[in-house]
Amino acid sequence: MRFDFIGRKKIWFALSGVIILIGFLAIIFRGLNFGIEFKGGTLFDIKFAKPVEVYQVRKELKAFNLGGSTIQPTGKNEVLIRCRSLSSRQQQKVIKALDEKFGIKDHSIQNVGPGWGGHITRAALIALVLCLCGLLLYISMRFEFKMAVTATTALFHDILIAMGIYALVGRVITPNTIAALLTILGYSLYDTIVVYHKIMENTPRMSKQTYGGMVNDSINQVLARSINTSLTTLFPIICLLLIGGETLKDFAFVLFIGLTSATYSSIFTASPLLTLWKETEPRYRSLKAKYER
Amino acid sequence: MTSKQKYFLSIGFVLILVAVCVYFIIKDPPKLGLDLKGGMHVILSAKEKPGAPVTERSMEQALFVIRQRVDKLGVTEPQIERQGRNSILVQLPGIKNPQKALEIIGKTALLEFIEVKGTDKEGKVILGKVLMTGKALKNARPSFGELSKPIVEIEFTKEGTKKFADVTTRYVRQRLAIVLDKEVMSAPVIQEPITGGRAIITGLDSIDEAKRIALVLQTGALPVELDISESKTVGPTLGWDSLMAGLRAGILGLILVALFMVIYYRLFGVITWLTLGVFATFLFGLLVAVNAILTSFGLAGINLSLPSIAGIILIIGVAADSSIIVFERIKEEVRRGKTIRTALDTGFSHGFKTFLDADLVTFTTAAILFYFGIGPVRGFALILMLGIVCDLFTSFFFTRAILGLMSFTKLWRNPKLFGLERKG
Repeated sequence: MRFDFIGRKKIWFALSGVIILIGFLAIIFRGLNFGIEFKGGTLFDIKFAKPVEVYQVRKELKAFNLGGSTIQPTGKNEVLIRCRSLSSRQQQKVIKALDEKFGIKDHSIQNVGPGWGGHITRAALIALVLCLCGLLLYISMRFEFKMAVTATTALFHDILIAMGIYALVGRVITPNTIAALLTILGYSLYDTIVVYHKIMENTPRMSKQTYGGMVNDSINQVLARSINTSLTTLFPIICLLLIGGETLKDFAFVLFIGLTSATYSSIFTASPLLTLWKETEPRYRSLKAKYER
Repeated sequence: MTSKQKYFLSIGFVLILVAVCVYFIIKDPPKLGLDLKGGMHVILSAKEKPGAPVTERSMEQALFVIRQRVDKLGVTEPQIERQGRNSILVQLPGIKNPQKALEIIGKTALLEFIEVKGTDKEGKVILGKVLMTGKALKNARPSFGELSKPIVEIEFTKEGTKKFADVTTRYVRQRLAIVLDKEVMSAPVIQEPITGGRAIITGLDSIDEAKRIALVLQTGALPVELDISESKTVGPTLGWDSLMAGLRAGILGLILVALFMVIYYRLFGVITWLTLGVFATFLFGLLVAVNAILTSFGLAGINLSLPSIAGIILIIGVAADSSIIVFERIKEEVRRGKTIRTALDTGFSHGFKTFLDADLVTFTTAAILFYFGIGPVRGFALILMLGIVCDLFTSFFFTRAILGLMSFTKLWRNPKLFGLERKG
């Protein structure tokens, strides 16, 4: 079985373009739902002794002027309440009121001061930029510059898709999301590098074919590995997504989208882009002219 | 030494290491993070203020004071460390009354004796200049005063006694405000000079408050004002629930991976089980070792929190991938016309080059993440780094040897065992 990945590159680029565009529009119009860790606020995770409806909780919260909080039911008799940053005394009052009304079995509270979130975001951005610089340098040295740039492009493709889908479904972005995004970053490169490794290996052996043809062969050679690896990584992630509990679910959600996209982009984005660029080199341009009609 | 002997040696080496790891894991199992076992996590940040600049020295002092306060709370295994230039992280796993702890830890506890210039219309005292602070304090203890009202008795040092005597002589028959953290506790009239070096603080709500104040006064005032930037309290059963959910998902995921590998790769799949078993043991063993090193440097060890469990699940996927790359390589060599026997031998070295590069890239990302990351992200990054080291190690010393040894047996004569079509 052989697939023509390079020949149909326009289809893949169009597909990626459409998904990224939809995500982009979602980011612009719906915005990203940043968690309290970034913008400051208080998060209550409350497990009640018996089933409680969201509207009942909201009614109680109105007494504290917190009627506008985000209340999200999770698990059994459990709700997450996100509101503005409260002092520890106010937090206790809310817990006490809810306990008297509904009976609380157990609870967790997280509070983040308003300035702190910016601090975290900055640290994450610095880490991201440094990661990218380090990776560009490493791939340029081990492979070549054009591979470094196209691999990084594929990476941005994956991050953009993950962010876009996040905006689309409106899930809350937490530090765990950022950790997951950074994992995607590593995984996306990992995948692309396995393909590029094959391309590097095949380049000196090229005979009677275009660069694109050789790249296509290389992809076909690593295809079984790409699919099987994605499957083995996705099995645990899908399990986390389905039965992993609320905190891990968020994490698994980003990883799920990111890893799918990373597998896709190493084959359908990075390699065709590399081909396009490499075939502007005189040597490969003449090969292309020779073997394609 | 023949290559066969080398392979046996390397498997023996791996097995001994596995035994060592198992011993240490049982002796000193990795601790659960407080998101899993419940407790409190606070990040306190110092605020730059005129008169109380945030310096390296003042932060170290603050850290010292907080350590003392936490020790007095009697929490087992607290983690207290500097975070960045002006923040302090405090983790108190399994604490029963986080609210109370929070009030004690973050309290500045600046005790001041201030002259009273009079009262405003509402009867509040108007404060003048600061005459003395609580720096010269020797001891403080909760007690009951007149009418069984809760009070805090304070005792000055020698120097403090002299100064307090001076102040009370100078301001005799005037009011003196006792102010704790800018809050006027009481403003009694000084009846006569106090030379015994003792004073009491009244105006407290409860004996609990008296206990708290006595505790913070004993440990001294914080040299800088600390704000709570982030606090998190996790109830004990909620953490347990998420741990169980995560574990259930992880185990199910692993079973699926194991099944898939054995259906698709047959005998290679079984090798993957062994490899993953060795890999997981090394990973936990290394985690215990790193924790031991970190603790011996007085740093906080890495706890198993939710993100690090997710990291473990992910890194197991990466480890499985290393095997897959090698197996696919062997299949490819066979397809190119090599015998299975040769392919078993050479497939590894070719595959290894591929995932070495891929692993190094992931390691770079994780290292940067570890250096710049905060809190749980660091645990996650560390697991990734350790995992990659274990992956390379396991592949090089275990997978290679097993595959090599296999080429000496007659197993390769039956290609179906490897999910290969007959050729070799």
